Formats: sequence, structure tokens, C-alpha cells
Amino acid sequence: MTFPVNGINREEGREPEEVLARIREVFGESAVARVRPHADGLKKEVQYYDLWLSVQKERFLEMVDTLAEFDFPMFHVMSGNDDGDVVTLNYHFGIFQCAGRGKRFGATISVPVPKSDLVIPSLFSRIPGVEYSEREMREMLGIEFDGLPNKALIFLPEDWDEAVKPWRRDETGPKPENVRELS
Amino acid sequence: MEKKYTIPIGPVHVGLKEPITAWLDLEGEKIVGATVRPGAIHRGIEFMARDRNPIQVIYLSERICGICSFAHVIAFLRAVEDASDYPVPIRAQYIRALVLELERLHSHILWAGVACYSIGFDSAFHLGMVLREKVMDVLEALSGNRVNYGVATVGGVRWDITPEVGKAVREMVKFYRAEFGVFYDVVTADHIAKARMRNVGVLTAEEAVRYNAVGPTARASGIRCDIREMSPYEAYADFNVKAIVPQDYYGKAYGDVFDRFLVRVLEVQQSLNIVERIMEGLPEGDIVHEKNLNKVLATLKKAEGTGLGIIEAPRGDDTHVVHLKAGDENVNWWKVRAPTYANAVSWPLMFRNNELADAPLIINSIDPCISCMERMLVTDTASGGRKVVTRAELLEMSREKTRRLMQK
Repeated sequence: MTFPVNGINREEGREPEEVLARIREVFGESAVARVRPHADGLKKEVQYYDLWLSVQKERFLEMVDTLAEFDFPMFHVMSGNDDGDVVTLNYHFGIFQCAGRGKRFGATISVPVPKSDLVIPSLFSRIPGVEYSEREMREMLGIEFDGLPNKALIFLPEDWDEAVKPWRRDETGPKPENVRELS
Repeated sequence: MEKKYTIPIGPVHVGLKEPITAWLDLEGEKIVGATVRPGAIHRGIEFMARDRNPIQVIYLSERICGICSFAHVIAFLRAVEDASDYPVPIRAQYIRALVLELERLHSHILWAGVACYSIGFDSAFHLGMVLREKVMDVLEALSGNRVNYGVATVGGVRWDITPEVGKAVREMVKFYRAEFGVFYDVVTADHIAKARMRNVGVLTAEEAVRYNAVGPTARASGIRCDIREMSPYEAYADFNVKAIVPQDYYGKAYGDVFDRFLVRVLEVQQSLNIVERIMEGLPEGDIVHEKNLNKVLATLKKAEGTGLGIIEAPRGDDTHVVHLKAGDENVNWWKVRAPTYANAVSWPLMFRNNELADAPLIINSIDPCISCMERMLVTDTASGGRKVVTRAELLEMSREKTRRLMQK
């Protein structure tokens, strides 16, 4: 499936409360982890918000689709960390990117992916711009993206031993003796 | 049907400023497909940060890129300040915005010059380089450095705008108002320059959205996106910055290399206006929340959380994500997304149906910053007979050869 791009260049955005209400309605109160206002400038007025959402892997696509009801989610990047039993992926989006001054807000979706099953659906068919991020997370953290067409290495050298996942903190991560020249 | 050839541009190519490989499928001179392979300049910066505290990472982040070094520092600092709720005094916010705009000026002028160089328009290239010196001098007057300024720190900035620096900035604005128009006229009035850039490397508005193009690349396709307008940060909260899109000035956005040129040149004028407003309204007060770095580090050590810093760098939005763990003095993890990372995904689309000779120009048209995009660690993978040779090993091999020759 692909998202329609009709939300782009819309004259007016919507308030973050509206989006939050919809998220709470579909995914419950616990889906909203934090709402962070950002105030800068002389008047110290709130300029924009960052919403921090979380969801289980099974409902991840549903949450992206819920955000897309409002606007085409502009994908910034994916960050991730090895948190012990799970690898947490954070998808950073911007909503209402083109809706006028101060209308954009950030939306981060955190998804814990259990190490017993390191597979998550790819967003490639919805947002083709995720390609580099998904390939990066695949080679650095060992996550499989179901539906990603090009799974070649992106930043690692061609002769890289793919059993080593550079950002993992467990036995698949780099050993101290592997790491050199970091100064 | 003509025979199809696959030709690599890069990893090292005379038309490229930095190493990257584009494999182009050609039918005659026409590009019918492209595969881009980065990875030649990965240095492991995000991994390195795990052994460093946030103050040390400032200087590491500054060295991600030699052009938009300050943008990376501010994006990183905003992420740290977001994670730890750290305040920034208003005067510091203005100085940060000022240096960000000075950086945009020199980055855009450099790009416009290099774009002319890519098409063999060397006199315009030299004119651009001469013009760029003025803003470099101002940066040197402010910070003592021309590339990595070392201006910002957690909770503020390290250097104040003295009356002398203020004078240099005002003189610079006056200089560019008088001289930069010549560069614009020389390039836009040149029929050959226009023929080389118009309808070359086209990215449509819909593609720009779906492939997440950012900054001048997206704006040239008619997408009204500029973080300074959409999510105002630092002093931009006080200025009504408007995204510059070609349809507002020329009636239509083609999304080609020429539009990318126009957007950047117009943004030079926009930056001059912002610099002028910053100098007019520069508020008095402290430039840093806490001068004692040990106290700053002690506060950051107590912080727990993930912070997000998204700012408009010269090439598009620069995103940094930082995680701080309470009790841990180092950065727990850090993710950098330079604008090129987002724009490079669109390269294969821009190459379609263009000629091979346009490939370096198209690659350069997004103002790529390959070393920004790639950050990783170097480890030894000796399996299979090939291995990555580190700098130290290479040095040792070289010395070994000298020793061998001396023995003979």
C-alpha cells in the first residue's frame, strides 16, 4: 500500500491534541509516553511539540497508518538501541511538515523488538524514503525488515563479517579486540 | 536495441567532492537505472560517542562535516538539552542562530560555485570562491577558526559578539548586498549554464515527499518545508522565516538542478536578512547558563531520557537523537541523520533519462556531504583474504618498507 500525498502543502495543520486523542482512542492511554513542548525566543512561547509514542510490534503498522490519516508522515530517521532482551527501534516522523508556521510537530514511535524474533514489517511500500534507515538498522542491529527489497549492506564494507552487529551490546556486538583506532 | 552498459561513477571521481559510488546502467549516453553504494568513508562516530561524555561529543559532532559543522553541533546540543531539560539563555540563542546563518551563507555560496565548476563554468566558480572568503573572515573574527568554530556548548555558547565582530558582520552584509547580485546575474543570464541545469535531474513534488527529500532539494521540487518555519527553534522563534520555493518567485517549480541553484541563491539573500535582524535585536544577558563544565557534567550525569534535535542545516533538516542514562557520564547512544542521508535516497530517481555527462552534476545538485552521511567503526575482518587496513597499519607498512630499503 502507499499513502496518498494529498496532505502535503495543506494550508492549515491540526493541533497535536487532536492527533493525541485519536491515538489514545485507538491504542489506549499507555501509547502516549511523553508530550514535550518546545519554547524558545524572547517571549518563551511554545513553538512546537514532540510526541513520544510507543506501540507493540504487532500494531506498529496500524499506528503509522493512524498518523497517516492526518498527513503524510515525513520520515526523519530511525534510531535504535540494544536494551537487553529487546532491541528498541524509534521511528522519528514529522507531521504537518508543510502546513504553515509552527504547525509541524514531531512524532516518535518506539517499538520494542524481542531478540527471540528480530523481525518487523518494512515501511518501504508506504514510505520509500525509509530504505537507507532500514538497511542501516539491519546491518548495525541485526533487525530483519519484512518487505524491504534491497537488503545489501549500505555503510559497512563489502567484506564485512555479517555475524558482527556493530551497535549490539551482546555477544553479536563487536569484541573489544575488534575495536581499534577510535581516537 | 542498444547494448546496456553498467558504469561506475566513483568511489573516487574528478566530479565528486567526496567518495561515493553510483553504478549507472546506460543505453548509449542515456542513464536508465542507477544503484548508489555509500560506505567508503564510514568512521564510526556514533560508536565512538559511547566512550565520551556530552562535552567531548560536541567536538566529535563538529568533526562529522567540514561545511555544516555548526549545524551538527546545534542539533546534537538541542538533543542533549531536550533529554536533560537544560535551559539556554536568550542571547546565546541569538548567537547560535547567527552562526547557523553565517554557515548557511558560506555553504550555499560554496555549492553554487561548485555547481558551476561541475559544468565547466570556471570563471563563475572562481567568482563564487572569492565571494565566500568574506563570510569565512567573519567566522574567523568571531571564533578564531574558519571551519570548526568551537562556538557552542551545553546551555549556551562560548564566544560573545564583541563590538568589533558586530562591525565585521554588518560590513559583510553590506558587501554581499553589493556584490552577490553579480554572481546571480552571471549564472542565470548564461544560456549554456541554464541549458546544462534546466530539466536535468528532475525530482517531482510527489517523489520528493514520498522519498523524504529535505532542504533545498525538496524546496526546489516545490515542497514548502523549512524547519525554521515549521518548528521554529532558538532565535528563529522571533523571526518569521518563510520557506523559499521556486513557484513563489518564478511561477513554477521544475524540481531540476536549476531550481536547486535558484533556491540556494535566494536563500543567501534570505540569510542576509536574518543576520541583519539578529544584529538589530541581539538581546543583552548571559551567553551560557553555567560556565563550570564540571557542574554541567554533574547535571547531565543525573539526566535520564531520549532527546531529539531537529534543525534546518544548509542542506536540509539535520536530525540528532541522544540517549542519556542516569548515573552514566557518557552518551549512552547517539544517532545522526545528516540531510544527505535523506536526499541520497532520491538519486536514482534524479538520474532517470539523463545523460551520463550530467551524472556528476546531478550527484552534486543535492549538495552531498558523504562524510556526514556515514559514521561507523573500523574493525578487522580478515576472513576471506581481504581486510580493512587501518591508518596505523598502513603507517607501519610504510615504515617497514623504508627499513627494508635501508638494510640493502
